[in-house]
Amino acid sequence: MAPFTEDELKAKVHEGFIVESVEEMTEGYRKSLVVQLTVQADTELMSAPAYWMAARYAPSTNTQVSAHAIIQDELAHANIAYRLLEDIGESKEQLVYGREPHEFKHPYGFDQPLDNWADLVVATGFFDRAGITLLTDVHENTSYGPLKRALIKIGMEETFHLRHGEVWMKRLSNAGGEVREMLQRSVDWMFPMTLEWFGLPDDMKRHTGQLDYKLKGLTNDQLRQVWMSATVPLCESLGLNVPAHYDESAEHYVLDYPFPCQYDALEKHWFFEDGEISWDTVFKRWKARGPMNQRYVESIRRSRGQVAKWLTAA
Amino acid sequence: MHEAVYEVFARKERGEPLRHIGYIDAIDDALARVYAWKTYDEERWFEMCVVPRSSIIPVNRTDGPFAAAAPREERP
Ligand SMILES: [Fe+2]
Ligand SMILES: [Fe+2]
Repeated sequence: MAPFTEDELKAKVHEGFIVESVEEMTEGYRKSLVVQLTVQADTELMSAPAYWMAARYAPSTNTQVSAHAIIQDELAHANIAYRLLEDIGESKEQLVYGREPHEFKHPYGFDQPLDNWADLVVATGFFDRAGITLLTDVHENTSYGPLKRALIKIGMEETFHLRHGEVWMKRLSNAGGEVREMLQRSVDWMFPMTLEWFGLPDDMKRHTGQLDYKLKGLTNDQLRQVWMSATVPLCESLGLNVPAHYDESAEHYVLDYPFPCQYDALEKHWFFEDGEISWDTVFKRWKARGPMNQRYVESIRRSRGQVAKWLTAA
Repeated sequence: MHEAVYEVFARKERGEPLRHIGYIDAIDDALARVYAWKTYDEERWFEMCVVPRSSIIPVNRTDGPFAAAAPREERP
């Protein structure tokens, strides 16, 4: 039995109380934390096969090493997040091996193929920046002690991934010509993809409890602004076009395209020209999952059954 | 394939306190050492060690992961 009522715990965490054990949680708190950690763990896990399949486009042995170092980090981050889930009563075994591919909770962006070196570079520049934006907010605000501590390591490594992405974006952009066009194409599909990742706008946001239980500090729209405040100036400094700009009078970033809008995953094309769609349509697209969902999940799990058989036979 | 939880402790420099930095799951001590070293590679540690969670004997707390993992007779 939790030592607090839901309302007491909500009040306490906003006064600075840090939760350290599952026994101190109310069921509402535990459920919100499970959702948050599952999204975090699944995102880390699915980034690994996405980056791994793209690492074959690395242009040198050095870049192979750095790409695989990133993949190794992501798998470790996933492992840590699933371990945190175990300590609050969930099963890592079930989460990793017991679900259908479409039941994973990572963002739709990690259901997409990364088809060349520019895609991988922009993924580490944009997606990892989104990861840092979300996790920094959690690190600074979360009321759950074990997660706050685990995020120290994760934050350090994400910063390295991001640096890798940004340095390479600069290099490809300076190369000019065809390379730069390829880079721009990656930016074109991944910029709106990352903005969508932050989810429903605040004026439509359904209640999730993550703010009430102080599992995070910033709202979706605030997080989108933080991401843009780093990404838009970076792209502008590299001469890359992005469909967003800083509005001096409003003092925030505004989008120059209908948000949200429809996406063709096979063509990697956003239909700006068709105008704004409903978030229900977006949720339907997310739920159906993207083109690489099954392959990515299978690539994580494929040898398990066989090795388990060897070990029981031995 | 039963994995146990191991707590990971490390210090960066001589003279620093040993800190709890995380945990890993492993089927035995030998693999626990490898996984800990490979997973927590964000620093060049001066010292790292692993402890099976079930070997930690809680002194004052009756809640949390250490209490849950301790053998019954060791629980406060
Ligand atoms: Fe990560
Ligand atoms: Fe990352």
